[in-house]
Amino acid sequence: MMKRGSHNLTLFIILVAVTILISISLPNKFLTLINFQSMTGQFPEFGLLALAMMLAMLTGGIDLSVVSVANLSGVVAALILSKVTGLPIGLVILLAILAAVGTSAACGLFNGVLISFVGVPPILATLGTQGLFIGIAIVVTEGYSILGFPEEFLFIGTGELFLLPMPLVLFIIVALIVAFILRKTRQGFYMRMLGSNPTVSRFSGVSNRMVLLKTYLLAGILAGVAAVVMISRVNSMRPGYGYAYLLQAVLVVILGGTDPKGGFGTVLGVVMAILMLQVIQSGSNILAFTPFFKKFIWGLMLLLVMVINFFMNRIREARSKGLGDVREKDAA
Amino acid sequence: MRGKLFRNNELYLFIIIVLFSIVITIINPSFLTIENMFDLIKSSSGMAILAMGMFIVLLSGGIDVSFTAVAIAGQYIAVNTLIATGVDNLLLAFAISCAVGVFLGAINAVFISLFNLPTLITTLGTLSLFHGALTEFVGTKSINTGQLPDCFKSFGHMNILTLTRADGTTYGLSVFALILLGVIVLSWLILRYTVLGRGIYAIGGNYTAARRGGLNIRFIQFFIYMYVGFLAGIMGVMHLSLIRYSNPNYIVGTELSVIAAVVIGGSRITGGSGSILGTMLGVIMIVILEKNLVLIGLSSYWHQFFIGLIIIVGVSATYIQNRMRRGRSVLAGGMG
Repeated sequence: MMKRGSHNLTLFIILVAVTILISISLPNKFLTLINFQSMTGQFPEFGLLALAMMLAMLTGGIDLSVVSVANLSGVVAALILSKVTGLPIGLVILLAILAAVGTSAACGLFNGVLISFVGVPPILATLGTQGLFIGIAIVVTEGYSILGFPEEFLFIGTGELFLLPMPLVLFIIVALIVAFILRKTRQGFYMRMLGSNPTVSRFSGVSNRMVLLKTYLLAGILAGVAAVVMISRVNSMRPGYGYAYLLQAVLVVILGGTDPKGGFGTVLGVVMAILMLQVIQSGSNILAFTPFFKKFIWGLMLLLVMVINFFMNRIREARSKGLGDVREKDAA
Repeated sequence: MRGKLFRNNELYLFIIIVLFSIVITIINPSFLTIENMFDLIKSSSGMAILAMGMFIVLLSGGIDVSFTAVAIAGQYIAVNTLIATGVDNLLLAFAISCAVGVFLGAINAVFISLFNLPTLITTLGTLSLFHGALTEFVGTKSINTGQLPDCFKSFGHMNILTLTRADGTTYGLSVFALILLGVIVLSWLILRYTVLGRGIYAIGGNYTAARRGGLNIRFIQFFIYMYVGFLAGIMGVMHLSLIRYSNPNYIVGTELSVIAAVVIGGSRITGGSGSILGTMLGVIMIVILEKNLVLIGLSSYWHQFFIGLIIIVGVSATYIQNRMRRGRSVLAGGMG
């Protein structure tokens, strides 16, 4: 476990190296204030989705529905913002935010019930709800965009607080809360225990079902917060928005050192992975890579990271064999 | 297949399909005509072939979401090669498409088998990798009917059975049905009568036991993902011949429908269960639903919603059944 913590240090070194490399190869373009501001404006919404994904993976599952949950919540909030009239603007905004988070919580709860009480494996359950949630969003909007929100609402996505973009402030707050839950609460401990060995967790008197239910509920809520940031930044909502985020979320979670088989993952690791992805993304924007090439690169990166982790684990296991740390890892 | 013709799950599914067909026939009497059935078979045999591949992957306890990218890669590379070389030969198209499929399948297998990576995340990555590579390095231009080599068009029109309507015009059962039948029989023979096939069931049923039992898991996994690629290659050419148009962004994005079909057919991702019959009934169910949504008064916007709903209802039914069957065993029923 001690050695696993060093993953974050490795990640940090790589992050710095990548940043320096891109800065040198793109002088006068990359290291500019505007570039940094646009970078920090983009990543919070997708960072929130990545945190949601990380929670699910920590318990050995996966949440493929995060983008769909964000879409449905975004549509609900957008409808309230654009259709409700006659109320004070502050109240409408509050209502919209509550509705978005409420919708996402309901979606998360639905996932949680399917997984923990019905017993459907997370992959299939969230694959199904991925279609269902976005399906509802499409039916509600009939595929059209919802445009034009009150000026005051746009502050969440485009405003600044002490020179920091609002989405970034929100992301930092949420990331700290998630980190707190994982490190300091019973739920966080149970999630990791469940992820590394469900049988042990079960026989330790932990209600696996409740832990899973709360995990997917929390993942849903994070997607709802992402939705609020998302629609406020873009000032519109169209079902299907942000579909590429799914692969990128999986990518950063794994890049951040989360074990897809469950049991290990840190918020700090995910945050650094998000930063790294954003640096590369920004660099590739300046280099004007086509979307197709980016798609290729993200896929390649995901696979390479997993292969590198495979070899790192192998080395680690070979080293710790002498210490008697035998872990049966062949159950796929 | 031995003993009971229909197992529980398949029987329920069959009853639902029959009831659904009756409802549709009442609304639209032209549904239950031979002509419409032939049409449905022709347009859905590609999906059925993909479903066969998916079924085998799920049987082994894995999942593959990259097969749509493999199918379109096979198709697009094949048609472009034929146009570039000027060779107008269907067999060559199939050979190229299937070779691309098998190669890409082997790439999946390398990651899954040699590096022991989770199948979902791997294939999510390769979906992006394959499709990104295809659109970046091969091209993004569509190929329209005019540019299409004749062999595809005649393949699309080829019938194995021709019937005459009252007014003298003819219609028929497409050769696609024969290909689908071939794939079904081949898959059935492999699963039923070869050591390899039994191995697929074994690693899906209990991976550790299969390994300790001395099965060559690496070989079996390579076979599975290459076979899926092979089937995707066949589907790619069929899809092109059906719609007579090739766009590198087609097919990708239809994964969910195929997975839905296999899952309501009774396959569990935890492996070792499901049947070919169930899978085909699942395909029939999805196809009938997809083709008749508008007919029962729902716009096409409902499509995604229903696919999602079907997956959820299908898997819930399968897992609840499974839970009841296992009863109150202490060790079972935990994580599912």
